Amino acid sequence: MSDRLDDLERRIDELRAGVRTAMRVRDTATARGLRAELRAAERAWDALVSTPGEPARSGPAKGRGDGLRLVTVREQVHQALALLDAPAQPRLIVTVSQAFFAGTIRSAQLTSLRRDEERSFRSSPYGRPYYLCAALTDRLSPARALLTLSTWPVERRVVGPLSPRVDFLTGAARIAAHLAGLGQAPPEGERLLARMARNIPGAGGDGLGPPDPARVADAARRELAVHAERDALDRAELAGRATSQLGDVARLFGAATLNTVARSGER
Amino acid sequence: MNRLDALRGTTPPKPHDARAIAALAANPGCTRRALMDGAGIDKGAAARHLGFPAPFGQSPFAITRGNAFEALVKADGCAELLRMLRELLGLPIAEVAYHDVENVGAHLRHTHTRALIDRAVREEDAGTVYDHPLFTLEIAGHTAYLEPDVVAFQLGGRFHIVEIKSFAVIDGQADPAAAAAAARQAAVYVLALRGLLEELGHDPLRVSHEVVLVCPENFANRPVATLVDVRRQLAVLRRQLARMTDLDRLIDALPDGLTFDLMPDEDGLPSRPVAELADAVRGAAARYAPDCLSTCDLCFFCRDEARQEGASDLLGRHVRDELGGVASVGEALALADGARAPAEGQEEIARLLRGAERLRRECLT
Repeated sequence: MSDRLDDLERRIDELRAGVRTAMRVRDTATARGLRAELRAAERAWDALVSTPGEPARSGPAKGRGDGLRLVTVREQVHQALALLDAPAQPRLIVTVSQAFFAGTIRSAQLTSLRRDEERSFRSSPYGRPYYLCAALTDRLSPARALLTLSTWPVERRVVGPLSPRVDFLTGAARIAAHLAGLGQAPPEGERLLARMARNIPGAGGDGLGPPDPARVADAARRELAVHAERDALDRAELAGRATSQLGDVARLFGAATLNTVARSGER
Repeated sequence: MNRLDALRGTTPPKPHDARAIAALAANPGCTRRALMDGAGIDKGAAARHLGFPAPFGQSPFAITRGNAFEALVKADGCAELLRMLRELLGLPIAEVAYHDVENVGAHLRHTHTRALIDRAVREEDAGTVYDHPLFTLEIAGHTAYLEPDVVAFQLGGRFHIVEIKSFAVIDGQADPAAAAAAARQAAVYVLALRGLLEELGHDPLRVSHEVVLVCPENFANRPVATLVDVRRQLAVLRRQLARMTDLDRLIDALPDGLTFDLMPDEDGLPSRPVAELADAVRGAAARYAPDCLSTCDLCFFCRDEARQEGASDLLGRHVRDELGGVASVGEALALADGARAPAEGQEEIARLLRGAERLRRECLT
């Protein structure tokens, strides 16, 4: 809640600075666009301050032209990851964001995200309430194409051999629970759940109609129980190594592999 | 080996990939191909210089489609793949471990693959799915690096190669040519993995001869898996590879001083006179078949050669085999209308051809 307010305030400051720069170079078109965004940001800030009980994710008015543009890419990714509660590939993040948050991101926009976040973290560590960061492999290097949140415990951000499956099942259970809690399920959400249910034994994903969220969540939890113990062991070991061996930056964005070391040495 | 290097000349050798190795098995009788591949010659460059460039390379749309389908199958820790393996091979629920070999740097991938496979054999429960492994295969003295576009996984102590292809299986039927090519390619990986196990001192037969072929089902994008037995492809491939390491017999039959060198100048452009190169290439006998058009860079050159000779090869393998002992189309026609007396051993085919000619005349008049 206050995270979101902080973020908005920062965004408002950025936009104000942007408007000023644009005016200085007489770029009226950019200035106009930025002003519109600024106004929208201020409106959202007002809305948040005046209704304190409102949950953060319904803050930006869904479907309203201004509101949509307000939610930045990193924020949309954050929403999706917070729902999944597990490291996820860009493709899944985009699908979740589109299904539940009227998201506008495309996978291509996510490619440079991790690098931008890392740069921002390096220039002012812990300056943001959260960072989108890498999942860590068993070599403590960043895992390919997996995004995580810096606010998660390290155990959740490392990837052991069983973790991809565990993360998939966790995500499926979370999505099923989220769908069950919604009054009217969005069709994209049901499609996503149906696709996930097909790959979980006993989730009833072969039927023609939309799957029953309770049944999917149940099936996912049953399979999770099979893997949970060993995965927790693997993760605890990795997390221990990550905390003891890595500095702040590497813990969030992964240790450089020999490859990247060699490459930066060439430069 | 020196003689092979002489065949290649000053051009640097071209590394083989799985497609090229699989194509070897498609036409084992072709001396020209065996020699040029054995020497690591860039056949594409030779064909371009000869004026018969092959319009090869996949269409970018096909590549995009293939990649998208592969990503779909492997998404979320191979969720789709695990479902299919559970249905097809009865993979236990607990076996879901996923190792992405590409997490290490590119130069370490092969070593990492070796280490992971070694561990998998020693410890029973050390992992199920290996993504992006890198194998090696020794081809006529050169090391070829192979990337099974997918996964070698372990089930009940046996490894299976999984091959993901984006051609559709409609109502249980796939395009036979595409399926055969996929099986040949998978056989290359099976061979490479068996070689790796042998090197590590394990039983090579722990790699199953049944590969898992994953394709989209019907008209949807839903993947479906089938088991394909590649024992026949393996046998052909092994024979062909053995033949390539033992090319001396083929080389001895060649005229002295023959070379396929393109003589590249400083800019790497071939400077050898085209006619001279064409003569050299003709020095090694080819065995053209229409299938070559989809597997060999030199196909158009060989087709042109077969056309000039009026060879019966042009009509396809089936016809060529039927016409055993009759080398050209002209000869077959002459035998049919009786303009030429059958030589010794040709009586049987001549009788058949005459019969066919008589039937044809009766039909037309």
